[in-house]
Amino acid sequence: MKNATKYLLFFRNVVFLKWAFQILFLFGILSIIWNYIQNAIVNLANTNIAFSWGWLGETPGVSIAEGLYTLPISGLQMIQTGMINMFRITVTGIFAATVFGTFLGIARLSSNYIVEKSSTGLLEVVRNVPLLVQIYFFQAFVLSFPRLEVFETGEYLFHVSAKGIAFPWFNRGPNSYLLMVYALFVLYVANKIYKWRVDLLEREGRDTKPFLWSIGILVALLVLGWYGGFRAAGVVGFLAAYISIGLELVPAIVYQVLISSVAIYIGFKTTKRFIDSKKSEEAQGIYSDDDYFKIILNVVVVLLVVLIMFSSIGAGFAGFLVGDEITFKADWGLPQLFHGIDNKLNWYPSIDVEVVAEIEGMKKAEIINWEIEPGDKITKGDVIATAYATGTKIDKQEVELIALETGNVESLLVEEKSNAIKLGTPIYELEVTEGDPFIFSRPKVEQVGTTKFQRYADGHGKSLSVGYFAIWLGVVLYTAIFISEVVRAGIMAVSKGQSEAGLSLGLRRGALLRLVVLPQAIRVMLPPMGNQYLNLAKNTSLGIAVAYPEIVAVGQTLYNQEGQTLPVFLIWMMFYSSVSLTISSIINYYNRKMKIVER
Amino acid sequence: MVDVIKKNIKSVQESLFSSVGSSVLTIATSYLVLNFFRGMFGFIMSSDKDWLAVLNNMQLYMVQAYPESDFIRVWISVGLTFVFSGISIGLWRSEDRSNISVIFDRFFKVGLGLLFFTIVAPTFTSYMGNDGSVITEEVFSRSTRLGILIPTLIGTVGFLVLKNVKINFSYNNSDVVFLYLFIPVVLIWFVKLPVIQLDENRDRIMPDPLMPIANTTKIPWSVIFVLFLLSYFIGIYFKDVKRLKNIMSISWFLLPLLIFSWIFKKPVIEMNEVLTGDIPIFVIFFVVGLLVVLFINNPIVKKYYSIYLGVVLVGTLAGVFISIPMLAKACLLLLSLFSMVVPAVSTSTQGKRSLIIIWLVALVTLTFLLRGGASETGIIVPGSSIFGGFSLTWLLAIFGTYVSFPLGVMLALGRNSKLPIVRIICTGIIELVRSVPYITWLFFASVTLAVFLPAGVEFNLIVRVLMVTAFFSGAYFAENIRGGLQSIPKGQYEAADAIGMSPFQKTGLIVLPQALRAVIPTLVSSAITAFKDSSLVTIIGLFDFLTIGKTVIDNQSVPVNFVGHQRENLIFVAAVYWIFTFTLSRRSMKVEKRLGLGER
Amino acid sequence: MSIIQAKDVKKWFGDFQALKGISMEVAEGEVLVICGPSGSGKSTFIRCINRLEQHQEGEIIVDGIELTNDLKNIEAIRSEVGMVFQSFNLFPHITVMQNVTLAPIWVRKKSRSESEEKAMELLERMGIPEQANKYPGQLSGGQQQRVAIARALAMEPKIMLFDEPTSALDPEMIKEVLDAMKVLAEDGMTMIVVTHEMGFAKEVADRVMLFDDGQMVEENTPELFFDKPKHDRTKLFLSQIL
Repeated sequence: MKNATKYLLFFRNVVFLKWAFQILFLFGILSIIWNYIQNAIVNLANTNIAFSWGWLGETPGVSIAEGLYTLPISGLQMIQTGMINMFRITVTGIFAATVFGTFLGIARLSSNYIVEKSSTGLLEVVRNVPLLVQIYFFQAFVLSFPRLEVFETGEYLFHVSAKGIAFPWFNRGPNSYLLMVYALFVLYVANKIYKWRVDLLEREGRDTKPFLWSIGILVALLVLGWYGGFRAAGVVGFLAAYISIGLELVPAIVYQVLISSVAIYIGFKTTKRFIDSKKSEEAQGIYSDDDYFKIILNVVVVLLVVLIMFSSIGAGFAGFLVGDEITFKADWGLPQLFHGIDNKLNWYPSIDVEVVAEIEGMKKAEIINWEIEPGDKITKGDVIATAYATGTKIDKQEVELIALETGNVESLLVEEKSNAIKLGTPIYELEVTEGDPFIFSRPKVEQVGTTKFQRYADGHGKSLSVGYFAIWLGVVLYTAIFISEVVRAGIMAVSKGQSEAGLSLGLRRGALLRLVVLPQAIRVMLPPMGNQYLNLAKNTSLGIAVAYPEIVAVGQTLYNQEGQTLPVFLIWMMFYSSVSLTISSIINYYNRKMKIVER
Repeated sequence: MVDVIKKNIKSVQESLFSSVGSSVLTIATSYLVLNFFRGMFGFIMSSDKDWLAVLNNMQLYMVQAYPESDFIRVWISVGLTFVFSGISIGLWRSEDRSNISVIFDRFFKVGLGLLFFTIVAPTFTSYMGNDGSVITEEVFSRSTRLGILIPTLIGTVGFLVLKNVKINFSYNNSDVVFLYLFIPVVLIWFVKLPVIQLDENRDRIMPDPLMPIANTTKIPWSVIFVLFLLSYFIGIYFKDVKRLKNIMSISWFLLPLLIFSWIFKKPVIEMNEVLTGDIPIFVIFFVVGLLVVLFINNPIVKKYYSIYLGVVLVGTLAGVFISIPMLAKACLLLLSLFSMVVPAVSTSTQGKRSLIIIWLVALVTLTFLLRGGASETGIIVPGSSIFGGFSLTWLLAIFGTYVSFPLGVMLALGRNSKLPIVRIICTGIIELVRSVPYITWLFFASVTLAVFLPAGVEFNLIVRVLMVTAFFSGAYFAENIRGGLQSIPKGQYEAADAIGMSPFQKTGLIVLPQALRAVIPTLVSSAITAFKDSSLVTIIGLFDFLTIGKTVIDNQSVPVNFVGHQRENLIFVAAVYWIFTFTLSRRSMKVEKRLGLGER
Repeated sequence: MSIIQAKDVKKWFGDFQALKGISMEVAEGEVLVICGPSGSGKSTFIRCINRLEQHQEGEIIVDGIELTNDLKNIEAIRSEVGMVFQSFNLFPHITVMQNVTLAPIWVRKKSRSESEEKAMELLERMGIPEQANKYPGQLSGGQQQRVAIARALAMEPKIMLFDEPTSALDPEMIKEVLDAMKVLAEDGMTMIVVTHEMGFAKEVADRVMLFDDGQMVEENTPELFFDKPKHDRTKLFLSQIL
């Protein structure tokens, strides 16, 4: 560059000033952060609670009201339970809020006076009251019902008490995951068939009835699936088993290298694309100072990633991926993940069968004698072992343990005459060969052992705890209101001219909506809809207010127990950031897809 | 008359029964809505609800444990707010006039609604007793129904007649506010409700004696109403003084600061500190400002202006880290802002004079407010802060906005900047803050933040909450403002460049004013969200408005047992929040229309 | 003495080379009209002259100051070069008067009264003194463009750049803007005008240039340019536009 050859006072050079300012800014921010970290180190040293992650592996000694592990053996399991509880609300909530919100949004555009006004009224009420107040109100409402103990035991159709609400439900059996994967596959096939028929329609110009075809095949395949065809989905488990075996052979260092290489590759790609974009026919690569800085920044970021991957943080992360069971008593590794998939999605899914109370008041079992051994075929109701039950009125009463499912025994997890084991501990692995994927049942009120307390029986209908009900209804209603606004705005954004143009072409109302209005409305609706989903996911954190054990509530219990507030906060941050990132990237993906379709 | 009825019937038919589907929808929705109202009515009226749990605890709701001996301070705060509102309504009095029949029409509609609900209200309601049995009881007897129905009917018919009679009387739309406020003021003197009274043994006198509602507060409310009216007239009188409008706008900004630092707080002033700390700092900064104003446009001095500005800016930044009195830090910040404006304005004698006045007023206000805010409070509330109940909710909402807005503007400018490092850092902060829910940030404030502060530095929980709110709401404000920044065409930047403006001038004079104006509606809705979100501090154990209703009253057993009346209190809390947010959003929609934002 | 000198100016936008070596000089008081098809680099070139765009090779010297990364030089040049845009770019949130006085007050640091006096004088010269207290949105396109000229003139520039000042205007408004520009030209202002108004070029310009594909194809007096164009490209262009 010719300009560069001339002498320029550095404090008058625009480019110099620009970068000097930025580096100063970066330095300032870093020094502030460094300052706070120093403070934290000093303060933590003073309070004798050193920052550590060790508590993740320790047994917290508290129980969780509901969820995957109600008696977690490690901090990590506890957090996992919180995460899954959060997803329970988020996933079902997003679905329900979308349906209800769309319905409400269309109602607000209705020409019917009463429908329009009442939906607007609902909107104005829900939108202007803090979500927390609403959640508290739902909680107080359910809690104002009588205690469960005043009701007779037995089956009900629908039941409300201070313990929560219960209603009939299809409960999942061991085969349910197979059916779900099968159903997904069927949906995919039906979609493909629809597209194929539409393609045929467009090519040959005759009515190929695409909708009828796809629905017909969908129904046929689903019926076939319900009567045993779902086992076809076992191919997923079959593959997962091999992947799991393969992954077990991979050492941790491979992941470190892999992630570093991906970072290097991406860095290289972006830099190369950047350099390519600067190339032109006449003068190759004319770079301004900005461009050099950009390239340097790229390199620094890549180096940082590589450095982190080969530091203790990266090693720990890789350890996680290989399923290092010693760390934090967790089997979160990739092999374990695929092994889990294999268990759930094999031709015959295998389950860990737990000890359940065979007689009233039983707290623990001490197995005297196994009646089965690996490879045996058992049917529901068979005696599998004899054991001493402890905790009952008679000490060491002898009971028979009964099989709960039909199938082949894979392995025994507890030896004969070993120590007494708590209820809920897995005792043997079973390959389930029979049973419906979903079982319909009504809620049932039962007594807890011989105590005077009562509860909703597991596996009978569906019972929602007060906290679950309050937070679920709260976030769904609140989000649905905002979604209705999005839907309304989306439909209104499609100009009237579009509908008129469609009608003048002779499209019928249904076709008009499907082919003209909706594609355009959805394009407008997607980004704000994604925002609402994000808000819903974040609002589930209010579960802590109604004692619903989602991740924030669980985290709070944990730091009250261990005093480790900082790591818990970091976990929250990582968890919510990744949830946000996931939701927004899904929305972005669809957004991009819609845009391409449009062109 | 027949024609009118026919026309109405036709329009009803068109809007409700245009097709079979529409008719079904109408009937189904009406059924749902009616049942909902009947259910709500029964719920509210059933005998297991004790609404005295709400009425009897108003004081707790408003100020929590604020000592009664200092209540005059609370009344002064409320009164000042009303006086300011009165003056503002007077100053910005709309010129729109409506005929009196509009009011009659409004009353007619209210009467119609009342009639409707009196007719559809259920006679019996049922609820589930503690033993699981369903209890049915009469909540709305025939005599009560008739007692309400007949006067309402007469009133409604009366208003119907009045609204159709042509009366040539029109009123100013702003005046009607006073009519609407006058009705409750009259009501608190005359309408009687049962009120809990205790005898000398602190036992409840049963049955509850009837008393005018707000018996203890009717005098202050009436005085405030009169003051409100007076200030309204003052406002109308000075309507044409344009400068007063500007002063009023700034006063609205300063009023909450004044209330929370001096009136509500009752600061204990150490004269010693004032004499040795505040006054010297004040004098020094005033003199510096004076010298700058007087001599900055002197050609010899002007050469060193950039050096001076640099020194002040570096001093301001350094002030954040080094330990100097809070007042000095704030004055430095003020001085650096002031110095950026001075050279352009102090070109004439008149300009210099007004600059000196502005500088004096700003410094006095700053010193005064900071002294009040930084002093110890003279009000002792055992076991809790002097802010509680509604006063805390307002404090959080107003100061949350005060601290987060400037931060939001800065983050938005940073994210929109052309400088990559600044942009990346600001984007990172915004996205990180936004991706994590508010409640986790509140936990950060309540348990984790202390870890990061230097040893020995401790902040009150309310201050810590405000610190994280600054970032949290700030990030949301930033996203809204960024939308405004992106809506500004590139040509505006180029035009500013072409006439030789510096980046600061470009941002402050061209970009920000336009961007902020474009996003006023979204900013208001963000502020409303922040107001609603302030209720989350309940979870970390601050005694805000919601906590009082949810926890405090529900645990109250002396002198009157209100345990188990959470639902009534939550409905009341919801209603109060609703009134504020609903009015605010409606107002903002009107202001938006008046600014004609939709048209740009 | 030429007030603007450009030597072999080159500029890329990514892969695309917008300017392929432009060399030219403009004398003080001269009116230069640049025309050419869209995308020919004419706008880019005049935007380089007050550094709204940054040229990458070659040199531009305006009034003896070379355009480099030097902060002071950029400030100095921008206050000496006024620019009028195709889309007016008036500031919509302030009045016409404030639009015109903004730069004198904040950049030149003049007193408000002095600037307002000067602004009023300029608005009168542009024929719109009665619009001073209106907002730009309330004016017609032609009036807005004249305000934009007044705003540029308020800085008392030595050079005025016009970037297609009339192409966003309705036909009946073009004349009023061109008339205002003529007045300026008659007062001896140095002007570079990018325009398609050939009538204006014939009448007012001292020189006319044709840009095509990032290069200067032809440079001539208006008479020769229109009557006896040297290049085929010019002939083609003129046949398309006239």
